[in-house]
Amino acid sequence: MSANASVADPPAPDRTPAGEGRKGARGAAATAFSSKRFQGSITFLAFIAIFIGYGLWLGEKFANIDARALDIHQNTPVLLLGLAVLVTLIAGQFDLSVASMATLTTYLVIGLKVNQGWPFALVLGVCILIGLIGGLVNGLLVVRCHVNTFIATLGTGGIFAGLASVYGKGGQLAPTGDSHQLPSWFSGTTSLGGFGEKFPAVVLWIGLCAVAVFLFLALRRLRPPGRSEAVWTAVSAAIVAVLAVLALTVLKIQHYVDAVSWTIGILIVVAVLLWTLLDHTTYGRYLRAVGSNAEAARLAGVKPGKETIKAFVLGGLLASFAGILLGANQGSASPEVAAGFLLPAFAAAFLSTVVLSTGRFNVWGTLIGGIFLVWVGQGLVVGGVPFTWTGVVNGFVLVLAVAISTVLRRRGAGR
Amino acid sequence: MTTISISGLRKSFGPNEVLRGLDLEIPPGEFVGLMGPNGAGKSTLLKILGGIYRADAGELRYGEERVASLAERPEVGFIHQDLGLIDDLDIVANLRLGEPPMRILGPLLDARRERKEAREAIERVGLNIAVETQVGELAPGEKALVAVARLLQRGASVLFIDEATSTLPPQDARRLISSLTATAGKGATVVMVSHKLSEILDATQRVVVILDGKIAADARSADLDRDELARMVVARETRGERPRRTRGPGQEEVLRMRAACAGRAGPVDLAVHRAEVVGLTGLAGSGLHDVAYMAAGAVSCRSGEVTVATGVRRAMVPPNRESQGGFADLSTAANMTLSALSDWRRPGRLLNGRAERRDVVEMVERLDVRPPDPEAEFGTLSGGNKQKVIFGRVLFRRPGLYILCEPTRGVDVATRADLYHLIDELREDGAGILVVTSDFEDLFAVCDRISVVESGRPGEFLSVDETTAEQLEAFI
Ligand SMILES: Nc1ncnc2c1ncn2[C@@H]1O[C@H](COP(=O)(O)OP(=O)(O)OP(=O)(O)O)[C@@H](O)[C@H]1O
Ligand SMILES: [Mg+2]
Repeated sequence: MSANASVADPPAPDRTPAGEGRKGARGAAATAFSSKRFQGSITFLAFIAIFIGYGLWLGEKFANIDARALDIHQNTPVLLLGLAVLVTLIAGQFDLSVASMATLTTYLVIGLKVNQGWPFALVLGVCILIGLIGGLVNGLLVVRCHVNTFIATLGTGGIFAGLASVYGKGGQLAPTGDSHQLPSWFSGTTSLGGFGEKFPAVVLWIGLCAVAVFLFLALRRLRPPGRSEAVWTAVSAAIVAVLAVLALTVLKIQHYVDAVSWTIGILIVVAVLLWTLLDHTTYGRYLRAVGSNAEAARLAGVKPGKETIKAFVLGGLLASFAGILLGANQGSASPEVAAGFLLPAFAAAFLSTVVLSTGRFNVWGTLIGGIFLVWVGQGLVVGGVPFTWTGVVNGFVLVLAVAISTVLRRRGAGR
Repeated sequence: MTTISISGLRKSFGPNEVLRGLDLEIPPGEFVGLMGPNGAGKSTLLKILGGIYRADAGELRYGEERVASLAERPEVGFIHQDLGLIDDLDIVANLRLGEPPMRILGPLLDARRERKEAREAIERVGLNIAVETQVGELAPGEKALVAVARLLQRGASVLFIDEATSTLPPQDARRLISSLTATAGKGATVVMVSHKLSEILDATQRVVVILDGKIAADARSADLDRDELARMVVARETRGERPRRTRGPGQEEVLRMRAACAGRAGPVDLAVHRAEVVGLTGLAGSGLHDVAYMAAGAVSCRSGEVTVATGVRRAMVPPNRESQGGFADLSTAANMTLSALSDWRRPGRLLNGRAERRDVVEMVERLDVRPPDPEAEFGTLSGGNKQKVIFGRVLFRRPGLYILCEPTRGVDVATRADLYHLIDELREDGAGILVVTSDFEDLFAVCDRISVVESGRPGEFLSVDETTAEQLEAFI
């Protein structure tokens, strides 16, 4: 082509009639959706492959619904802390104090009953209040006093853990023969904290039905252009029905339902509520906007400070929940009970950006990421690798999963 | 002196085919204007040449040699659309980025000489600010000039410039372009992307139009007139002739500023009435945008007061698109609906995602955002499309007072016409509108009254009908 080539014909002005634009929007959306889903599922599938490997290697010792559910049951506090961390991460903040807050509330929930003999409802109320106050302090320090979020939450974390230690006189707290006793529904083998007591199956079945309906509606909305509405509705219904039958016969989903303890049930309920809040209310949107670009959010009419403080308060609340459940699970409080939970909690929250979606912190990804981490470690333990390796495995899996997913995503973007 | 030849260049982002076999040859010493609608792939082309993106297919030759990009060549310089400056560093540090360090001894840097050279470099492009200023604090026009200063300081002889003039007032833009013409006159090759027809016609020797990922037109600038060029770059129907205004401005004030001071601006006395468009312009650094922040309530006044008529909502298009305007990792939809989210709230306080999506699809169509995908991440949109999304957010809010900073920055010729149309409609509907812009065309196209801001305060307000661009420039 020479420099002074002639002018090409001017393009026809009606290149994009409105109708075509609309169809383009659908098509593009559908394609982007599927490709993103694909990228998002790579890490997920990698984990599944690992578990299949474990299953082949260890057989029944690993592929055992009850044992794996017990893992989740025991790690519910960690997963709750993952959710606590998630909320602040969405707001673009790091809350390093959640584990200490959990330790503190574990001490309080045990001690206020066992030593002080307060009515248990009051004890729970105080624990939750402490969580809220702790979160508020974090939020005020970061937002109003402009303290760097790492420093602020490291500092308050130290204070929370220190308070727990002062309150527990540096030692363990547990009911003894002549002390007040924890309520029997709260702690013990046949209680909220025990694995033996199962969550009401009806609730779970209703939940599963809701998921099926949700899936059906989602499928129906993905109708390819050119298919008739009625036919596609029938197709969607058929797909969901087949999936349901498969779940009942091949997966034997009733066994899974039977394995859900109260603790796990509570975790699921909390997750549903949090997911609703973060993904389906204005608050969640504001929070994501603030986390993405606080200045732009402010100019768009959102109050970044207020939303951030709310996030810290919510994080504190979830952390106190984690502490209470930890108390229920263990029936006692020992120094730094939750200290080791910080890394796995952050790991779970970060895995959410690669397990179920690409690049977005989200609730279900946090739960699944956290559970997968636990299982990867547990599989090794079952296979004979000493329990002490858990930390190494956690760190390794986290870094590897996030690195691989990021590389794949950048490759996809053509960098 | 070397010819750059590009052939069969292809680049897709996921399903979005941006460049579809692009062929272009740029002989040495030519001043080329690159045009095309928003999202046509101009910036993508420059980013491939600059080594930021990798092409999917195609060949790039620099002289005889086949190369992957021109990034490593010391004589090739780029100003990308996002300018490539680091906000947290000062001007000196930004000018030194990627340059061999000036040393006194061993690893010790010669800070004095760096500062002196930096001062000279920014003076050459007509900037008069302390070189210790953080780049993040600069107005968009000033940032653009810093980026240009950096390029010229390097003595590059092949220059690629992506819309550096879009935030500059006419005088600065002309100064920049004449310095580019001078460099081109000395044998440098210059490729400049711009949506401003007059700039392209005045400065360049050749115009290349990209449309749908290919070269749609390639002509000598001298052979074209404005209308012809406009027809070449407008790929779609615009809304046609704008109707005559049916009414004059209302009596009722929606905004009143009394001796208001904040940042570099003040004391400002200003009123915007219902169904009135008031325009402000001024040099980069005149405190122009601080007036806008005050009007929008985004900063509080040091002294004086800003009052808004009761019940009137405000919404602003901020001057810096990337840092203040959008949420790079959120979707187009989330970016657009943020300021008016409660409109899509169901009684149970949950968001009605489907209604939101439907409205976004409609808005995307109305503003012709490309790609027309509500889920597309804001950060991946082209410059002009980002601008449209931010405009969409402001429209969704349905305010009674609009504060529009650089409303047509980086939008293509057709969209510019559409936006003017839209502003007219908003005015007809009775909104008060404050347009704060360095682009004179905005002022003459939509405003009722205009004024020049100088050292933080607007001068006398002039009726547009009785003012010419020359008069206005004389004020600046
Ligand atoms: N990193 C990316 N990921 C996905 N899509 C991208 C990316 N960068 C650009 N695009 C898409 O490529 C297309 C072309 O973008 P480009 O920035 O080159 O347009 P442009 O011609 O410079 O437009 P403008 O005049 O608005 O600046 C757009 O549709 C944009 O959404
Ligand atoms: Mg561009």
